[in-house]
Parts: sequence; structure tokens; C-alpha cells
Amino acid sequence: MDATAFAQETGPTITLLEVKDSPETRSVSFILSKTDLATANALRRVMIAEVPTMAIDLVEFESNTSVLTDEFLAHRLGLIPLNSEQVGTITYTRECSCQQYCPQCSVELHLNVRCTEDHTREVTTRDLVSSHTSIAPVLNGPNDRGILIAKLRKGQEINLRCIAKKGTAKEHAKWSPCAGVAFEYDPHNRLRHTTYWIEDDVKSEWPVSANGRFEPEVAEDEPFDYNAKPEAFYMTVEGTGALDPKEIVTTGLRILQAKLSLVQLLLKEIAEERGAVARPPMNGFH
Amino acid sequence: MANAPPTWELLLVPEGMKKITMEMDTKIPNAATFTVLKEDHTLGNLLRMQLLKNPKVIFAGYKMPHPLEHQFVLKIQTTPDTSPLDVLQHEIANLIQEVGTIKLKFENALTSRTLNPGEAPIPMHLPMRERRDF
Repeated sequence: MDATAFAQETGPTITLLEVKDSPETRSVSFILSKTDLATANALRRVMIAEVPTMAIDLVEFESNTSVLTDEFLAHRLGLIPLNSEQVGTITYTRECSCQQYCPQCSVELHLNVRCTEDHTREVTTRDLVSSHTSIAPVLNGPNDRGILIAKLRKGQEINLRCIAKKGTAKEHAKWSPCAGVAFEYDPHNRLRHTTYWIEDDVKSEWPVSANGRFEPEVAEDEPFDYNAKPEAFYMTVEGTGALDPKEIVTTGLRILQAKLSLVQLLLKEIAEERGAVARPPMNGFH
Repeated sequence: MANAPPTWELLLVPEGMKKITMEMDTKIPNAATFTVLKEDHTLGNLLRMQLLKNPKVIFAGYKMPHPLEHQFVLKIQTTPDTSPLDVLQHEIANLIQEVGTIKLKFENALTSRTLNPGEAPIPMHLPMRERRDF
């Protein structure tokens, strides 16, 4: 048995619970067990804040005669999830060799709508035209009407140009690929990490979550184990549509690995530097 | 927004600065302080936790000195037979392996799910914490 096979026997385990892939919900639920709270939390934090996606970052207004201000519209446009499966092929603008932005580090989208009918014209993400084949507003099938951006009265128009860039949610939450990340451990509160606010009775006032079925209940007369540590973490990752939730988890883990590897490399440099200082050059003397 | 700090300020290490610096403690033996730029609780807490698992570590703690400055400091004191740098390097290697295992197992679980698209068996009682009958 080699080292990696051994690690698989003893190391952390994953139990997939549910993979939802319907237009309503795209999520993945799993149990991460035999690992530490900090590891599980690091994964959660990385998935929320450090998985790159595409989002509209610059908006140039040609004309806007709607009731909404330019800033208001620009903010709404920024929050629209864009399909980011191809985000790997785009570079960060700050790392790109171009002056401002170019097709390598950005995607251009156009919105040109004018209301000519007597009834209200709803401007949705369906009206956003992308210059890229796949990086475009997320739509759930042909019947999806898209996300409402603005409403126009007769004679009003919006004509603008958007520049979508690659980014992470550390910079702005609009780049987060996660709609929600559920994170739970110790559903029966065996470790007493939380104190329930109650009126009379904990059991009737605080129903056990669905994850309670995976762990035994706490017996009435059970002594408190103060050395116990959380071991199983119940996670559900729900995407905005920008990325497949499975992709969010794997990319998150890859980013976490890369982050640690970078630190490892830099520490090695420090160790080598210090080794050089500790053993000064001989300068001809022996 | 004229005085807004640049958005990449919390991501990019300023030119001429090192992402990680180590300073040995002058008063405490076998102790060092690592300053890691542009990283937060994600990495800080992860390293601290992993270090505390090592019996050679006497002290390990981290803090973000200021919420608006994107950096954390990690203090480590070890037993005399090793050094903070060695211990940190060793534990990071362990963490990389741990995350690698999680990634591998997650991908394996996904593959076996696509191979058997039926309802996945849900283990009702995982053998993670045996019920104690006192």
C-alpha cells in the first residue's frame, strides 16, 4: 500500500447526498467527515469568495431615458449571473497585457431596447446580447423570461454597452458563484457549541434539522464529553447558475490546494535564504 | 467613489513586498512570527488548527491585526528539537494532502454517481461517533 492509498483509508471522507440539477435548483449536498472544522470552513469560505466567475464590471451608457438612474442600472447589471463555464479561458484584466480591456480579458454585452408599444416594456436579461458564444446571462431553458432589469414606458429607451470581467467575490460579491452554502455540524448540539434560546422546552421549540438522522440522539443522562470535536460537516452548495455546483466544489478545493502550495513554496524560499545566512560563504578560508 | 481604495488591494501583494515574512522571536526560544499578506481567516485558521495537532507545537495562534488590512500574523512556538519554520512546512504538506484527498474523493463520488444514476444509498448512521452507552 503506497502513501496515497493509505491516506485515502484514514483521511477525510465524502458522502454525496443529493445532486439537484433541475431548472429551479442546481445544488449539491454532501457530508464531509473525518476532517477538522477549520478545513471544512476553509472550503466553505473559498467556495463563496474565491472561485472566479464572470460579471459585468463596466457599463457605458449611450442613452438612458428610463426612470432608473445610470448607477442604479449599472448595479443591477453587475449582479446578473453570467454563464461562467468558460471562465478558465479568460484572464484577469489586471494580469492581461492590454491597456484597458481586450477580448482576452473581457466580454462585451449590449443592451439596446426602446419601448414603442402602448404597454410597459419589460427589459430582461433576454435583451442582453453577448459577443461571446457561451459567456452570456444565465437562462433556464427556452421558457425562462430572464431576470427583470428595468421597465420602460412608451418612448423611453436604454442603450448601453457592458464589459464583463473575470473576478472573485473577495473583490465584489457579484462574482460569487454561490447563491447559498448551507453548513451544519453536530445537529443534536452534543458538543454544546450553541445555546438555544428557549421559553420552556428545547426539544419542542428547536426541531432537529434533516441532518439529525445521520447522528445518534443525545441521551437524557449522557455525560458531557468535553474532548469531543466536530467530525461530520453537512454542506449544501447552491449555485447562482454561473457555475455548476459540482464545479464550484472542485474548483474551490483546487484553489485551496493552490493557496497552500504557494505558501509551501514561499516557506521553502525562506528556509533556503536562512540556510544561506546560517552558513556564510567561506571566502577562501577552510 | 473618488477615494475608494483599488479593488485589487485585497488580492495583490504590493510590488517589492514579500507575501510571507518570518521573524524569529528574540525573547522566546523557538518562536517565530509569520506575516502573510493578502490572506485572511481562510488560511490563517486552517494553519493554526493544523499546527495545534502537532505535539511539537507549544503555541500556535493567528490574528488579523486590522480588519481593513488584508494580512494575518501567525505566531508559533515549538519544542527545542525542531523550529517553527520546519513544523509549518511539514504541516502545510499534510494539509495539501488532506485537501487533495477530499478533492479526489469528491470526484470519485461524482463519477460513481453518474455510473449508478439511481438513488444514492444514504448511510443512516455513519461510523463517525459511536454511541456511548454508559
